[in-house]
Amino acid sequence: MSTTEPPTEPPAEPQEIAVKLSLPLAYQQEIFHSIRSEDQLLILARGLGLIRIITNLLHSYDAAGDNLVLIVGASEVEQEWIGEALAEQNFISKAPKARGLKIITTDSMSVEGRRKTYAKGGIYAVTSRILQVDLLTSLLPPEMITGIVVLHAERVTATSPEAFILRLFRQKNSSGFIKSFSDVPEAFCSGFSPLSTMLRNLHLRTCSLWPRFHVTISESLEIKKPEVIELNIPLSDSMLQIQTSILQCIEASLSELKKGNSKELDMAEWNVDSALHKNFDSVVRRQLDPVWHRVSSKTRGIVGDLKELREMLGYLLSYDAVSFWQYLEGVLAAQSTGPTGQTKSSQSPWLFLDAAQVIFSTAKSRVYTGILPTDSTTSTTSSFIPAGLQPVLEELPKWRELSSILDEIEQEAFRNQGMNDGSYGTVLVMCSDAKECRQLREYLQSAGRATGGEGGETIEISDDDDDSDSEDDNGGKEKEKEREGKATHSAAHMMRRRLRGYLSWKRDLARFKAALNEATKASSLPGAGPGGNIQKRNQESFRGRAPANKRRRMRGGNSAAGSSRGAGGSVQTVEEIASAMADLWRKIQPTEEEQRAKQEVAVDPMEDMEDYFELFEMGNLVVVHPFRGDMDDRLLEELRPRWIVMYNPDTSFVRRVEVYRSSHEERQVKVFFMFYGDSVEEQRFLSMVRREKDAFSRLVKEKANMAITLTTDDSLLDDPQEIFLRTINTRIAGGGLTTATNVTPRVIVDIREFRSSLPSLLHSRRNDIVPVTLTVGDYILSPSICVERKSIKDLIQSFKNGRLYTQCESMCLHYSQPMVLIEFEQNKSFSLEPFADLSTGIGQNDLQSKMVLLAIAFPKIRFIWSSSPYQTAEIFEELKKGGEEPNPDKAVAIGLEEGEGPGADNQTPMDMLRAVPGINGKNFRNVVAEVESLVELSNMEEEEIRALVGKEAARKVHRFFNKTF
Amino acid sequence: KLNKSAGAASNILVSPRQKGNPLLTYIKTIPWEYGPPTLACDYLLGPSTCCLFLSLKYHKLHPSYIFTRLQTLGPSYNLRLLLVLVDIPDHSTVLPVLTRTCLLHNLTLFLSWTAQEAGGYLEGFKRYEHTPPTMIMERVAEDYATRVTEVITRVRGVNSTDATTLVSTFGSVRRAVNAAPEEVLMVGGWGQLKVNRWRRAVTEPFKAGG
Repeated sequence: MSTTEPPTEPPAEPQEIAVKLSLPLAYQQEIFHSIRSEDQLLILARGLGLIRIITNLLHSYDAAGDNLVLIVGASEVEQEWIGEALAEQNFISKAPKARGLKIITTDSMSVEGRRKTYAKGGIYAVTSRILQVDLLTSLLPPEMITGIVVLHAERVTATSPEAFILRLFRQKNSSGFIKSFSDVPEAFCSGFSPLSTMLRNLHLRTCSLWPRFHVTISESLEIKKPEVIELNIPLSDSMLQIQTSILQCIEASLSELKKGNSKELDMAEWNVDSALHKNFDSVVRRQLDPVWHRVSSKTRGIVGDLKELREMLGYLLSYDAVSFWQYLEGVLAAQSTGPTGQTKSSQSPWLFLDAAQVIFSTAKSRVYTGILPTDSTTSTTSSFIPAGLQPVLEELPKWRELSSILDEIEQEAFRNQGMNDGSYGTVLVMCSDAKECRQLREYLQSAGRATGGEGGETIEISDDDDDSDSEDDNGGKEKEKEREGKATHSAAHMMRRRLRGYLSWKRDLARFKAALNEATKASSLPGAGPGGNIQKRNQESFRGRAPANKRRRMRGGNSAAGSSRGAGGSVQTVEEIASAMADLWRKIQPTEEEQRAKQEVAVDPMEDMEDYFELFEMGNLVVVHPFRGDMDDRLLEELRPRWIVMYNPDTSFVRRVEVYRSSHEERQVKVFFMFYGDSVEEQRFLSMVRREKDAFSRLVKEKANMAITLTTDDSLLDDPQEIFLRTINTRIAGGGLTTATNVTPRVIVDIREFRSSLPSLLHSRRNDIVPVTLTVGDYILSPSICVERKSIKDLIQSFKNGRLYTQCESMCLHYSQPMVLIEFEQNKSFSLEPFADLSTGIGQNDLQSKMVLLAIAFPKIRFIWSSSPYQTAEIFEELKKGGEEPNPDKAVAIGLEEGEGPGADNQTPMDMLRAVPGINGKNFRNVVAEVESLVELSNMEEEEIRALVGKEAARKVHRFFNKTF
Repeated sequence: KLNKSAGAASNILVSPRQKGNPLLTYIKTIPWEYGPPTLACDYLLGPSTCCLFLSLKYHKLHPSYIFTRLQTLGPSYNLRLLLVLVDIPDHSTVLPVLTRTCLLHNLTLFLSWTAQEAGGYLEGFKRYEHTPPTMIMERVAEDYATRVTEVITRVRGVNSTDATTLVSTFGSVRRAVNAAPEEVLMVGGWGQLKVNRWRRAVTEPFKAGG
């Protein structure tokens, strides 16, 4: 540590590090010093500011200069955040040597450019795929690296690229540091990744655990507790009814699942409670994966249903009544319009339960009823809705509560004017995601909150909603502003807009379904199965404030109402009514310029940008923001809110507020904590807290009993005897002569393959990996053996688009022993059977037939069948035995056309281009040479394209981009 | 047993050695008959296509069996199949060696997990004997909806539902391609990660390292 300490700093600093840290709390400093002095895995409870500790750590290396530190495993957002935080800290501590963070993400930077950048040193965040290649090619010599910081350590499994990077690093550099971080303790004690294995993958020996109940942390956070007001809001009767029914459906689906699979599975832990958690899906899948090909299609369907039902529970609480009903209709639509005429038996079983009927009818009754008004939520709207149909438009209970909280805050702010405690007097409303954020923004806006000090509230019966028809012109916006002068807490205005959005969506859906079905019939497209979610077509309702004429509109046409089968009469009526509504809607909207829509779609959001999260100004600012993990720390620091409304419960945010409060003793914070009582939301929140605590307790126990492995790095040291045996060339038979060569076996790997774990495994079996850009094949094992790797998913895909055929053609042309590797996944069933329906024999369309056709077309192609990347590595070794080593330069040159350099392509855009109709293997090079990107191509005129690909193809390309529905 | 036209070219010729192999009961749609005992292969699927059958259980007991068979097979076949029945759970030691054997002896390896599947393969090879491989070749003419889905789903993590939602929201591929990230984010099912990937895929230059 002392080596990195610039001598200019006064020794009186409380920290021993010379740089200025921004860690106000005792536990943060303690963690910092422990991680700074020792390589370890740090597991911190969520919401306690992990990123902050990391940036401080990075800063301490940055400020010292002459370091080369790599950040591995950070997401893009995190990288950005770390970059900003480092720049800030550099500014504060004015360290002369600090350079901030450099991010190397795509391979857009040339090889030489990267070499130069690395040579300069500093802090780097590099995409794992590029980093593997750079380490292997010694573009970045491992000896040069000061150390590696690993984020999201829970994701570093034995075969992950991060583990490979660490191995490459440790192999050549035993003195550099490895410091890894995680805030997901649950990941370390479930499934196949217990703590000690993870430590081995990370090349670490110790870990330190910092749960919320750690003494130092509790002490730090109890300096000053924020004032918290809990608001237990009861669900409305209809919501409660729906929730109960969904839970019944979940229970029924679960017992169905148990009934069918009790032999194979350990289902002791499968109950309704655990089914509410996100990772339930992965637990179920993990148990079922090895036998996935043996479980009935019914079971597979139920696993998908459970996920859908769980999501439904969440949507019930977060979506407004109209959107929720719209979502349910999407679910129904997805069930009724499968790719080919589905039989009743393939529909989800829960749909046939009584409870499902309750869900649908109750959800509908929250939006409108077919009978005369029973409550007075809204005004009379005879001009808008056909007679006999009455909008109900139930509001979410939290909305009203939120309104009154804001009122309370307002009054309090009025009383306490002039109080200066360092906070900005902002009101921060936190909700779960961007969608909910929009909903609240819209609600608060259209509810037209009372202006300062007025206090009293009058519920406005918005009689001017009669303008709903005419509001679609721009005047609507102004009227709305006018109305903000009056006070109202009714969401009626917004709900009515939602309803209109819903009606228009309804029409679009019908049209689109009709169009798609036609296409599907023609091509047997494997469209969205029962699990697919058309549900989320409800975008219309989320498009927020945009005046209606700015929404894209489908041109008139007959609204062929989608067929809805099976789920009962109530649904059928809805369809009919909706098509009646759609008719009416068309009358309201006589003409509309479709062409105009194009530009407007592009302009629209920018116009809204300034008030994206900002609602209205009333002396104070109200900010509505979604939870964004560790980024929220910064939000708190920047906004310095006086009041925080937690619209949804979130464990980590509660802690963030604690940390914020304790860090700034002088600032007042008042927290309103809203949750629906007796709801799934509450249950989830509580069990989240419990699960984290349990996980930490287990980890503490495991840590105490863990055997210390001193041989962690031994696997890296080459056993000389084995090396000798491996390099004996057994091909020279006869007179008992053997020659020992000093060449390590070499495999040439295409750089795009570094997304898979195979290169890492090949390397761990002591093969020399040479990453290059290959035009033909993925792996070159010898001058004659070329392998094209296909995972099952790739295989299906590349049979479908014919890519594999083309690849085989070019492999046969250039290599004498071309091979296709069919690689299954570790722990998944090793069999093609799940991908075929054998009851009807091998049919024309299944995978097996296509394999047969491929074998007939290319008798020269050899197949490699491998159950996992591990086995593939073994097979490669076996195949390489006694063969010559491949030559990288030759391998690169193969398949390139005259005068073409081995320039790297960006794979995804290239793949997309190749799939565009009219583009083929011959003309796509012209396009690539002349056109920069897909955006550019999409905006080109047909004549321009014609110059590149010819008349016929140009027509297809142009039509592909410009065809409208 | 379908045995109407003995000796016809459309029949699978089965070696008498294979008598009792359960896979024979699953060859239903193609006629088959027993060939002469001198037949070098196990199944003759065409004038230049032959097939050897190997059960891994048997292979474990008699590892040298397959090699003796290979020696008598002769070089006269163009497509030489090794149809393996995976009937043991521990295949990890056997498969690498078998793969190498296939490479050295010009055999095309096919794995099957049940007798039914194995029978299906034999039927397939006979049925598609003269079928041109158009089905697995790059196709030009396809309907619009499929192609749209195809192009959009090339972006990692984007499925066909997302593709439909995207295009139906914006009305055309061109508008979808030109849409700002904030707009795409508002489309149901499209989260931040997906939007980022999508935006990068459409704006990134085709050629890297420019």
